[in-house]
Amino acid sequence: MTVNRRQFTLGTLLAIAASGGLTTAVRAQGDKTIAVLFDGLYSEFWVAGMKIIKDDLTKRGFEIFEAISDQNDSKQFEQVKAAIARKVDGIIIVQTDSNAVIPAIRAANAANIPMVHFNRPPAKSDAFSVAIQADNEKIAYDAVKYACEVAKKSGQKHAAAILIGDLGDPNAIQRRDGFEAAVKEFPDAVEVVARIPTEWNADTAFAGLTNALQANPDISFLFTSSDFMIPQIQQALESADKWAKIGEDNHVIFAGFDGFPSAYQLMKDGYMDADGVQNLFLETKLAIQAILDLQAGKKVDELLIDPGFVITQDNMAEKQEEMWGYTLWKEKNQA
Amino acid sequence: MTDRSVAAYRKAPASALSKAGAFGLRILRSDYFILYLSLLYAICAYPFVPQLFTLEVAGNIVSEMMPLLIVAIGQTFVLVVAGIDLSVTAIIGLAAVVGASVMTQTGGYVSGPLATPAALIAMILVGVAVGLANGAASSRLRVPSFLVTLATRMFFAGAAVWYTTFHTTSSSIADLPAAFIALADGYIFSFSVSGQLIGLPIEVAIAAVVVVAAHLTLNHSSLGRAITAVGANPRTAMVSGIRVEHTITLAFVISGLCAAIAAMLYSSRMETGSPITGENILLDVIGAVVIGGTSLFGGKGKIIWTVFGVFFLVLLDMTLKLIGASLFVIYIIKGSVILVAAAIDTLRNRIFAER
Repeated sequence: MTVNRRQFTLGTLLAIAASGGLTTAVRAQGDKTIAVLFDGLYSEFWVAGMKIIKDDLTKRGFEIFEAISDQNDSKQFEQVKAAIARKVDGIIIVQTDSNAVIPAIRAANAANIPMVHFNRPPAKSDAFSVAIQADNEKIAYDAVKYACEVAKKSGQKHAAAILIGDLGDPNAIQRRDGFEAAVKEFPDAVEVVARIPTEWNADTAFAGLTNALQANPDISFLFTSSDFMIPQIQQALESADKWAKIGEDNHVIFAGFDGFPSAYQLMKDGYMDADGVQNLFLETKLAIQAILDLQAGKKVDELLIDPGFVITQDNMAEKQEEMWGYTLWKEKNQA
Repeated sequence: MTDRSVAAYRKAPASALSKAGAFGLRILRSDYFILYLSLLYAICAYPFVPQLFTLEVAGNIVSEMMPLLIVAIGQTFVLVVAGIDLSVTAIIGLAAVVGASVMTQTGGYVSGPLATPAALIAMILVGVAVGLANGAASSRLRVPSFLVTLATRMFFAGAAVWYTTFHTTSSSIADLPAAFIALADGYIFSFSVSGQLIGLPIEVAIAAVVVVAAHLTLNHSSLGRAITAVGANPRTAMVSGIRVEHTITLAFVISGLCAAIAAMLYSSRMETGSPITGENILLDVIGAVVIGGTSLFGGKGKIIWTVFGVFFLVLLDMTLKLIGASLFVIYIIKGSVILVAAAIDTLRNRIFAER
C-alpha cells in the first residue's frame, strides 16, 4: 500500500483528534469529589469493597475520582498528586506497601486533604492519616478456635496446615498469629505440620498446598488466610481425594478468612466449617464517616477497628445477613 | 476564459498547496515532531482538563518524567544497537533494595554521613554489573537480547525479593537518610513566588546531566557512531574496524547504569527501597522511546527524540489521570497511542524512503 503525504497528514490529525475525544469520553467532574485509589482489584473482596464505597459515596452526592495503581507505589503516589491537583475533598486509599505510602500521606497533609486507608494501615510515621482495619488476629483466632473445637470433638489428633499471606502485609501476619494462638490451645487435638507461604498468590498457594499434601498425606485440618484461594484449595484437596463434606470420613476441617461468596457457598454445601468475616459494610461506613469527620475538623483516631465476626455451621442462619459474601451470593443467585 | 488565465487559475492553488505541503513536510521531518504533537494534544485536552496548564500540574509532569526519562535514555542506546533491554525494571528493583539495605537507619551496612554516598555507589555497581552480564551474554554468547534480558529480568526480580527478606520483616526497606530523600524533594536553588516554591529540583538537575551526557555520547562521540553503525549493520561495522561485541556490551552497561540512577530517584521519592519498584514501567519505557522515533530495528535514534517521547507519554498519562480515567482505560489508550506512534513512524520512514 502506498500512502501519500495528504493521507498521512490526515491520519495523524485524526489520531490526535481521537485521543482528544477519548479524554472527553472518560471525563468525570463534580463539585465535591472523593478520590478512591486502590492498588488493584485482585479478588472479590476488593471488587466488592470498591463497589460498596462508590455506591455509598454516590448516594451521598459525591463525585468519584477513581484510580488503580496495579501494585505500583510510584504510580499511586502520582495518582495522589493528580487527585490533589484536582482539589479533591478526601482520599480513600489502599496502598501496596505500608512504607512507600508515607510520602503520599505527607503530600495530602500538605494540601490539607484528609486521607483514609481502607483495610490496610500504613507504617508508623510523622504524617497523619486514618486507617480502617479488621481485627485480623481476633477474627482468625475465633475462626480457628471453632475449627479446633470441631477437631477436639472428633476424638482424633489432626495434622494441620495454614496458607499464610504475604508477610509484608500486616493483615497476613495478624491472621497467622491468630491461627497460631488458637491451635496452641489445643495441643492434643491439632498439630501444625505445614506452614505454606503464598505471598497472596493463588498459583503459589496451589503449588504449596499440593506439595504439603504429598509430604503430609495425613493433613486433615486447614486454615486459609484468605478466601480468594478457595478454588486452588478445592483443586488441591480433590487431587488428594480429601474434598469431602462435613461428616464424611475424608473431610478436612476447613476454616477461612474474609467472607467471600464462595466461602458462603462452601459453608452452605457443608465443605467449610467456619469463616472469619471482615465486615465490609462497616469498614466502608467507617472510612466515609472518617473522611466526613476530618473535613468537618473533628478529631478522629488514627486506627479504627472493624471487630468482624465468625460465621460457623452453628450460627450461619443467624449471621449470614451480615456477611458481605452472602449479600453478593444472594444477588447472583436471585439474578 | 483564455488558456493563459486557466493556467494561472490552476497554478495559484497548486502553488499554495505545495507551500503548505512543504511546511508539513518540514514538520514531519523535524526532530521536534513529537513535541509539536504533544503541544497540539495539550491544546486539544485543555478544555477538558483545565488544570493542565497550572504550575502544580506542570511540576508534577516534570517530576514524573525524570526517572522514566533516565531509564528510557538507557533503553535508547540498546535499541539503537538493535537490541532490547527487558531487565531494566528488575535492575531498578534490585538496585533499590541493595541501596536501601546499605543506608537504612535501622541496621544498614553503613551509617552516618557516608551512608548515602555508599548506597549510591552500591546502586551504580548493581546497574553496571547487571548491564555487563546482559551485554556479555548478548554479544559474546550471541543469545538474542530479548531472551537474555527476559531471563535476567526474572532472575534479578526474584533476587531482589529474596535479598529483601534478609533485611526486613516487611516487604520493603524504609527509614532512609534525609540526604538521600533530598534527591527527590530537594532543590539546587529555589525561591518562592506567591507561596509556590520555584527553582531547580535536584532530580531535574540529575536528569539534565544524564540527557546532556547521553546526547554527547550517542550523537557526538566515536562510541555513539559505533553504536549507530553496529545497530544499522553489524557486519559492515565489523569490516570497518568497529569492535562489535565491545560496543553492544557497552550499550547494555549504559542501560544498566541509567536504570540504577532511576532507582535512586524512585526510592528517594517513595522514601523506601522496594523490590517491586518500577516493576510495571516496561511498557512506558519502550513506548516512550518508540514514540520518540527511535527505530526498533536499530541504527537510528536520538536522545532528544526520547525526551519528547517521554514528555508525550507522561502528558497523556497526566491528562487521563486528571480526568479520573481508570487504569484499564489508561492502559488501553496508552497502548493504542504507542501503536499509532509506531505506525506513524513506519509510515513516515516509508514516505521519505519513497522520495
